[in-house]
Amino acid sequence: MVRMSDLGEADRLLVLLTPGRGLMRATARSARKPGSKLGGHLDLLCHVSISISTGRGLDTVSQADTLEGFRGLRDDLGRLSRGLYLAELAERFAVEEAASHGPFRLLVDTLRTLEKLPADAADSLLRWYELRMLGQHGFAPQLQRCVDCESALEQKDHVYSAARGGIVCPNCRTRGDDPLLPAPVTVIKILRFLGRATWPEAIGLKVGDDDRRMVERVLRSHLHYVLDRDVKSTGFLDEVRKRLGVAEAAPEGDPPGDGARTGPQG
Amino acid sequence: MDGHRAASLAPPVARLIEAFRKLPGVGPKSAQRLAYHLIRMPRAEAESLAEAILAVKDRIVLCQVCQNITESTPCPICSDQSRDRTRICVVEEPLDSMAIERTRSYDGLYHVLHGVISPVNGIGADDLKVRELLERLRDESVTEVILATNPNLEGEATAMYLQRLLKPLGIAVSRLARGLSSGADLEYADESTLAHALQGRTRSADQDASQSL
Ligand SMILES: [Zn+2]
Ligand SMILES: [Zn+2]
Repeated sequence: MVRMSDLGEADRLLVLLTPGRGLMRATARSARKPGSKLGGHLDLLCHVSISISTGRGLDTVSQADTLEGFRGLRDDLGRLSRGLYLAELAERFAVEEAASHGPFRLLVDTLRTLEKLPADAADSLLRWYELRMLGQHGFAPQLQRCVDCESALEQKDHVYSAARGGIVCPNCRTRGDDPLLPAPVTVIKILRFLGRATWPEAIGLKVGDDDRRMVERVLRSHLHYVLDRDVKSTGFLDEVRKRLGVAEAAPEGDPPGDGARTGPQG
Repeated sequence: MDGHRAASLAPPVARLIEAFRKLPGVGPKSAQRLAYHLIRMPRAEAESLAEAILAVKDRIVLCQVCQNITESTPCPICSDQSRDRTRICVVEEPLDSMAIERTRSYDGLYHVLHGVISPVNGIGADDLKVRELLERLRDESVTEVILATNPNLEGEATAMYLQRLLKPLGIAVSRLARGLSSGADLEYADESTLAHALQGRTRSADQDASQSL
């Protein structure tokens, strides 16, 4: 369940991500009434098994069973805001009537991981997920060579262009007037590492605050360019982190700003 | 297809259908049905409907205190001196406060948020009457805030968010007890269930220890 809104008197309109048919829209009749057999099973971020009856107009949910409720995501603002972001990202990439087994699996697995993840590892998981999702849809950023001239990148600071889709070398950076983001060596290394890491490797990665922010900015601008719009739930994600002061998680022994610690190599 | 058909309709009809379509829960088919119903309606009835719409726009305001819809501000509940002014029950919509009033088991005040935090729709606390709530808590002698948002993910997210926000103020914060069937809307809860949920409300545990981000 990636999206839900009220419909009519007491119905709900659902948007579901399914493995076999991609994005699906369906109505759940009377789901907002207490005692509704459907209502209790249908909520955002729930992994559900549903039966659909097709007829004229919108498909209707005839039966729903919760497979995973992800309670661990729902009890905690930090995890909740991140879980919603993961789901929205999957939704943005998905289309109707097109199988999306890979992205579906990726979303469910990542939500499962997030549910039990300590706060300090969650951002790395999100960046890893973004790169995976981009890769599965053929939009992975070019991080190995200059995206323009394809020359090998020297071991030094470069810039990043979302419009061109990757790292840009010093010779090419003046070509074009697209917005450029700083991409220091450590940031490039972190991105490359996350791009080929498994998720357990990704969540083991310790990154300093500055690098973490820069990596996030690069991927956010890349996603914005690819999707041609903002991912709306980033607003809540940022708000929870910043305004509520729900700690920019500072776990013990991890002083901020000390750069990449577990060296991502390459 | 509907857009196509509407384009060949007489412009006033198309305009009316378009206006209905903007209403919550009204799809293209219902919009057409409503429009054709109005066309067949006696003129006097149509005029009275139009007047009723203008009357809400002209006469209904938001209560400056609780943000509920009212004809006069402060609203009757906020002006009622016999009510317990140390408690504020926070609800998503005006209808929710009416549902709680019907239980007759709550005599405190309300605060209407006019929505719920909905991250995937880009609706955050700034789009709700949250600042007004904080303002109220600074002035009044409120000792308890009851968060009565809907028992679904967005309602819970809103409640957790407010809980976080209110924590530094040192006011007791409670949530409605479970027993409300999850997934359902408050406005549909039957009175006894809702009354029980109010009585059995739980002091929000200090979640900080387990909060992670
Ligand atoms: Zn180049
Ligand atoms: Zn009032």
